[in-house]
Amino acid sequence: MGNNEKNEKTFSRYLKDKKTIQRISEWGNVIAKMASPEGKPEALNELVVLDLSYANLAGSIAASYLAEFGAEVIKIEGPEGDPSRMITPYGEMVDGVGLCFLMENRNKYMLSLDLEKAMGQENLKKLAAKADILIETYAPGELDSLGIGYRQLKEINPKLIYIAITPYGHYTEKARQLAKIPWTDLTSQAESGLTAIIGALPDEPEPYNWPTRAGFHAASYVTATSATLGALAAVYWRELSGKGQMLDVASADAFASCVGIPVIMGYIWKRPRMRYGILDYGLCPYGFFRCKDGYIAIASFRDQDFRAALKVLGRWDLEEDWRSLLDRITDDTEKAKILDNEIAKSIANYTYDDLYQKFTSYSYKSARNKWSGGGLPVTAKLLMPEEVIKEEHWKVRKTFMEVKGEKYGSLLVPTAGKMSETPPRVKWISTEIGKDNAHIYEKYGLSD
Amino acid sequence: MHTDYFDYVRGLFDRSKIDGKPEALKGIRVLDFTHMIFGPTVAKTLALFGAEVIKVEVPYIGDYWRTSTYWGKYWKHSNPFYHFINPNKYFVGIDVKYPEGKELILKLAEMSDVVIENFAAGTAEAWGIGYTQISKINPKIIYASCSTFGQFGPDKFRPGWDMLAQGVSGAIGVTGYPDTDLRFKIPDYYGDFQPGNYAAMFVLAALRYRQKTGKGQYLDIAQGEILMREMFHFTYMSATGKSIGATGNNDPTMAPSGIFKTQDKTFLALAVSNDMQFKALCKAMQRLDLAQDPRYEKAPERLKAQNADLLNKLVSNWIACNKANEILDLAKIHGFAATRVMNDVDLCNDEWRRERGSVVEFDDEMYKKLVLPAAPVQLSETPGRLKWLSRPLGYHNRYVFKKLLKLSDDEIKMLQDKRVVGNWDYHVGQRPPVYYDIQQDKMFNYKEETNGQ
Repeated sequence: MGNNEKNEKTFSRYLKDKKTIQRISEWGNVIAKMASPEGKPEALNELVVLDLSYANLAGSIAASYLAEFGAEVIKIEGPEGDPSRMITPYGEMVDGVGLCFLMENRNKYMLSLDLEKAMGQENLKKLAAKADILIETYAPGELDSLGIGYRQLKEINPKLIYIAITPYGHYTEKARQLAKIPWTDLTSQAESGLTAIIGALPDEPEPYNWPTRAGFHAASYVTATSATLGALAAVYWRELSGKGQMLDVASADAFASCVGIPVIMGYIWKRPRMRYGILDYGLCPYGFFRCKDGYIAIASFRDQDFRAALKVLGRWDLEEDWRSLLDRITDDTEKAKILDNEIAKSIANYTYDDLYQKFTSYSYKSARNKWSGGGLPVTAKLLMPEEVIKEEHWKVRKTFMEVKGEKYGSLLVPTAGKMSETPPRVKWISTEIGKDNAHIYEKYGLSD
Repeated sequence: MHTDYFDYVRGLFDRSKIDGKPEALKGIRVLDFTHMIFGPTVAKTLALFGAEVIKVEVPYIGDYWRTSTYWGKYWKHSNPFYHFINPNKYFVGIDVKYPEGKELILKLAEMSDVVIENFAAGTAEAWGIGYTQISKINPKIIYASCSTFGQFGPDKFRPGWDMLAQGVSGAIGVTGYPDTDLRFKIPDYYGDFQPGNYAAMFVLAALRYRQKTGKGQYLDIAQGEILMREMFHFTYMSATGKSIGATGNNDPTMAPSGIFKTQDKTFLALAVSNDMQFKALCKAMQRLDLAQDPRYEKAPERLKAQNADLLNKLVSNWIACNKANEILDLAKIHGFAATRVMNDVDLCNDEWRRERGSVVEFDDEMYKKLVLPAAPVQLSETPGRLKWLSRPLGYHNRYVFKKLLKLSDDEIKMLQDKRVVGNWDYHVGQRPPVYYDIQQDKMFNYKEETNGQ
């Protein structure tokens, strides 16, 4: 039996009676049609979105999400281009733009307008009159002082949904005082509580025990997702009420608002958490452990999962001291480390494949044996991006889509989320400033 | 137009007027079959904006996250984080294993707009409450299946949690220090919460499509994939043939960038995303020569690893010779991004967050005062809001069974006796707090004639 078949048998425990088998096969037919978006409609194809993101990736990402759902997104840049064109790993450019910009300008029309000139402002007003959503990331009050902020545009188009994304928002005293501070992902991570709890344990050497950043733009994607889901709630309500509104997203706040835990910890326990390395606050063992050929995740959440993990690792001796969940979750780092070190010692003797086989076959047996309590310790290998991209699973799901530029060759961009009727998709990625000027000028009657 | 801009916007988002404002998703009913964090977050986000969310749990067992908590410490006989993930919801205990239980669930599904589940792939189908059954009795249903690997592909049956999604997506692989094997998880279940919001965005896109066309659909949301969607590493690899790996505290897309220690031993994050900001920083450092140096003047050169490293060292030395407040004042004057590393207590007590309304002191009828974040995005006309914290397992049974399913007291009693429906056992996290007199609770003892009052 291959690994996949075994998995299927292990985790789908209900394939016993005819009715169930039939239901699963029907569901299989629905799923089979989901891999490709070809020939299907788009969820938001009647929406017009103006993307005025300036030096702020979160705005570009939010607009990119809407564009994937089929909205007509018009990216508006000044003649010099959006400075976020230059946000790219190690200065690496493709077709004159950075890779982050390229990744987050999916399906957008590229329009150039000089918003500091009267003509540019008039053209923006013409567009805003027809638009459904506007996304902007300028300093709070900046567009207002040019006469093209929310309070002016809502007079032209009361149905407009206007989204402002800045580090501190548009309406507090701090927002006023720090209006000039620009967005970056790293400062957003630090200010919203993420970096304070990433890093090695206190006894590790500096700088490893310092606050550490998530190695990707984690805060920006939270910010963008919050903005987009707010926008879609506003679109839904507008259909019923006929009213637009203003949305305000603060990137220095987005992570804390999304995960909630830091604020509640601060309130209930009145002291900040330490950096815990690879240990977990809530659960143990729950983390990545070093095996012979890499790192393996062991997640044993329930007591029966923990017992199963001990059996597989031949460590039943630990059962007595760590029997219940409440023994294994503790604010005492030293105590948590004891169990963690014991598990780590045992795991170091195996290769990943050894452990994966052992855990899988245990789960397989336990799923079929009502006496073993259904223990299901979960394992996975810690992968680097270069390994992830080779995984058959994501190939089948078409997670990485290939795009071809007119000037650049083919590139892979990641996508996520499948819809049976209106799948999101990547159609093109443009890089040239003002590439679609002629088309947009004509379509919206803009003046030269 | 003479009003000051900030005052004008403050008026739009006035916190004292929230309760009188409409809710964006009022009238949407969501059936929530989820547990732990990822799935419940999808439903929670919809609930914050006014959807009526009915959370179905197994009687006497419930969502496992109820009885788990950080550090083994509970708050008023409940997991405080369960409150954050499950506010504004209606809690019912129905066991799908009994045919009568399944029937109740299907009846609720028939009158719902959205169903959300996060079991292992195929489990909901096997139980007979999957998309294929529910779409037959309610063709307009939007049904979201949330999992780590998604509903198709060779690994679809592999179970997963936040940490596994972070591991298999490469998110942990790129978080840590280069030239060491130190790797860190993104904390606080980032791989559950952020995908939860991402999935809510998909549900809303599907709702919008249904609003126009009347058509429902099936959504397959994989948290592993969502984390990959956030990483530039794959595109970089396909463009250059090289890999990035872990980069410690330096963001390889911004130079300089890092977390640094000041003279007064405070951690500050600082990053520069474009040439203008770099010039501003050079002015603050009184090193305008750097802004003219061909190695640093323009982003493509400045970002090259060897140049970025040199700059980061210069900035690190500069910050080490100054106090935190001095650097932050300079950031404010010159316009570059620098901030303190905020910890749990800072966030909780931050006046700015209270003033913004992103952190609120909520007074709940059952649990009293809790400080927690409210909505992740502020909407001027239809603000998200907290209405109540989570409730004990099966707390809304009578309300939902009588009001929506039109069951009589006798019918409910019969189902209870057969353990088809039920509420809590003695476990902390499931039951009401000990100080609370549940027998006096009008909602728990819901009577149709008084409408729970």
